[in-house]
Amino acid sequence: MHDLISNLAMGFGVALSLQNIGLCFIGCVLGTAIGVLPGIGPLPTVAMLLPFTFALDPTGALIMLAGVFYGAQYGGSTTAILARLPGETSSVVTCLDGYAMALKGQAGTALAIAAIGSVVAGMATTLLIAAAGPPLADVALLFQSADYVSVMLLGLVSAVVMAHGSVLKALLMILFGLLLGTVGTDVASGDYRLTMGLDMLADGLGFVPISMGLFGLAEIMVNLESMAGRTAIAKKVGSLWPSRAVLWQAFPAMVRGTVIGAAFGILPGGGPTIAAFSAYSVEKKVARDPSRFGQGAVEGVAAPEAANNAATQSCFIPMLCLGIPPNALMALMVGAMMVHGIQPGPSIITKQPELFWGMIASMAVGNVILVILNLPLIGIWVKLLQVPYAFLFPAIIVFCAVGTYTVDSSTGDVVLMAIFGVLGYVFRKLDCEPAPLMLGLVLGPLLEENFRRAMVLSDGDAMVFLHRPISLAFLVAAALLLAAVLLPSIRRGRQEAFRE
Amino acid sequence: MLRRHLLLIGGTALAAPAVHAQSFPGGPMTLIVAWPAGGGSDIAMRLVAEAASKQFGVPVVVDNRPGAAGAIGHRAIVNARPDGLTFGMFSTAGVAAPYLNANANTIDELEPLAFFGSDPSAIQASKASGITSLADFVARARANPGKIKNGNDQPGGASFLAVASYEKMMNFRIQKVPYAGYAPTVTALLGGEVDTATVAIPDTIEYHREGKLKILGVSSPERHFMAPEIPTFKEQGFDVDVGSWRCIAGPKGIPADRLKILQDGLLAAMRTEEFATRARTAGFTIQPGNAARTLARWRADDALLYGILDEAGLVKARKH
Repeated sequence: MHDLISNLAMGFGVALSLQNIGLCFIGCVLGTAIGVLPGIGPLPTVAMLLPFTFALDPTGALIMLAGVFYGAQYGGSTTAILARLPGETSSVVTCLDGYAMALKGQAGTALAIAAIGSVVAGMATTLLIAAAGPPLADVALLFQSADYVSVMLLGLVSAVVMAHGSVLKALLMILFGLLLGTVGTDVASGDYRLTMGLDMLADGLGFVPISMGLFGLAEIMVNLESMAGRTAIAKKVGSLWPSRAVLWQAFPAMVRGTVIGAAFGILPGGGPTIAAFSAYSVEKKVARDPSRFGQGAVEGVAAPEAANNAATQSCFIPMLCLGIPPNALMALMVGAMMVHGIQPGPSIITKQPELFWGMIASMAVGNVILVILNLPLIGIWVKLLQVPYAFLFPAIIVFCAVGTYTVDSSTGDVVLMAIFGVLGYVFRKLDCEPAPLMLGLVLGPLLEENFRRAMVLSDGDAMVFLHRPISLAFLVAAALLLAAVLLPSIRRGRQEAFRE
Repeated sequence: MLRRHLLLIGGTALAAPAVHAQSFPGGPMTLIVAWPAGGGSDIAMRLVAEAASKQFGVPVVVDNRPGAAGAIGHRAIVNARPDGLTFGMFSTAGVAAPYLNANANTIDELEPLAFFGSDPSAIQASKASGITSLADFVARARANPGKIKNGNDQPGGASFLAVASYEKMMNFRIQKVPYAGYAPTVTALLGGEVDTATVAIPDTIEYHREGKLKILGVSSPERHFMAPEIPTFKEQGFDVDVGSWRCIAGPKGIPADRLKILQDGLLAAMRTEEFATRARTAGFTIQPGNAARTLARWRADDALLYGILDEAGLVKARKH
């Protein structure tokens, strides 16, 4: 305990230097900006900034890059709530209830809850890293390919739970998402699959064009069709600050979301995404009245937003404590360290204590900066909803097109977005939800890669999924969850499913 | 758009202290990198761009065109206007790519400009495997063909080619398990999911020093400057030189006078003391070489890798 305090004191000494506060601020501002802009995510932004960090000291460089990463999580919910545009996989679920709240004139409350949920999760996870980082990092090493397969199955099952409609349709959407996920290069053989001879498909279908199309563009089409009498998304804006009752309702959800997020964030792969989907499913399961979900339930915003922010910060644990980057963004941070001659490894804590503790302290500083930055912005964002739709929707389309294009500088992706926009409209007409499809698309390639690897490693013995305790535990959890969803709907018949 | 702008700003900032203004450039140069920003190749090329910018006195902008295992970026180099202002990185995997992918460009479609360096490959063993030395590993692999699991990348990747070369040259067979990059491979090795791996020295040396894994050897003529305690394969009785190299290449058809300025300038840029220091700090083994040496390396690896891929049944797109 004494060590922890003295270490944190050293960390704050580093993080509160004028230079590092400045860098943290720049990172947070940039992160918020790119989070708000659809399409441009933290990954290309950090990649762009990387050469500028060559001239900085490694601690300052990492503080700034980290600020971009978690700052983007704050901003990412904004377009999800205001325009049903998920900027990232992890904010797909926020669209469901966040946008429903905005339609009801509670956009301000939704944005504030998202920001508060993020800061609660951010602070709690920062403390967790400081207190228990190194032992938690070893957990990441316990997970092998077979275990990841089971974790992802659990994630996919949770997507069935969250769907508020026909279970069958949700399952079909997941399968469709998995199918779309098979496009691209076969990991094991290097063969191109379903690429139709197009190089742009060699690395699979991009998340950004598909989510922009399925969510953003489809929403615009539905709105244009149905809002004959309306001129803006939401006529009334309501109060900006959530009432005490709403906060009281949201707080337990934030705590649950934080715990789930922190746990999944440590695992490589789809950490924040599985975390957000799982947190939402848990909320729906523990809620007294699950039918509120999808209609603007405040827990449906609080939990996933807390979860994705907690996961964003806990994925620093394996990176800082073991030198293992659990995702592409952490890999860039390792790259930033290697440029300065710091090799990734478990010795970062002992050899670079200022860097380790400075980074951790900077996360606390960054979360404070982000709240100060984001809460006043809510008033501005909410005003956007009163802009006449005739002006707003072309602007959204332009932002979507530009955002999609910038990901890979590919016009093909813009075409892809348009195709999926039409498809999204058809799905809306058929009452099929796109969120399970997105999870299938994100987890499909990871599921396949890990499944095939697990089979190679076990010399083709499928029992490996039952023999490994971690894998077995997740499989049992997935089976229980599936049973909990399917049994009532089977018992009560089809009407119940349609009534929801 | 945002990316282009920031890159331009970056390029201009780097170009500030213009040293020699030669006759040829007359405009900003573009260095195409077929790999994502922030990866090893990207960092290596940003260092080259910085040095080249000082050399030529114009901004040198790094343009990342990742995708399709490099094929998209390599095509951008081949199709660039041959005015000498656009060139890009080419590497070991690019030589192998056209045999796996019909869309990938061959070495005959590129003009060699300068050699950057070759990062020696190495073999690491997990603690759980109990493998003690390179000789021990080879003996076990020969005794139980296909039983030792090796963490690797997908067929045609740099790590795959390195291990396939070892198998052919040292006469053993192991099970290659594909991972998406070095980081997950190192994780699998630390957790004991695989017995061995074939990843770069800078990514594993700290774990070796902490006793979390064992680097069995490095397959280069000399020991790695970052890991002087690791013996070479040759010292352990296996005369094998395998590494993955990077070089600079341009489109065919650059006018001879411009080509000469470009080749000489790139080589001179990579031979500066400042460049060498920065590259070594970042963990790169640099061996700046001229165009002739680059071409010789392409030809030698083309012959070697074709044989390896052919034996592995991976020659799908075109035959020799």
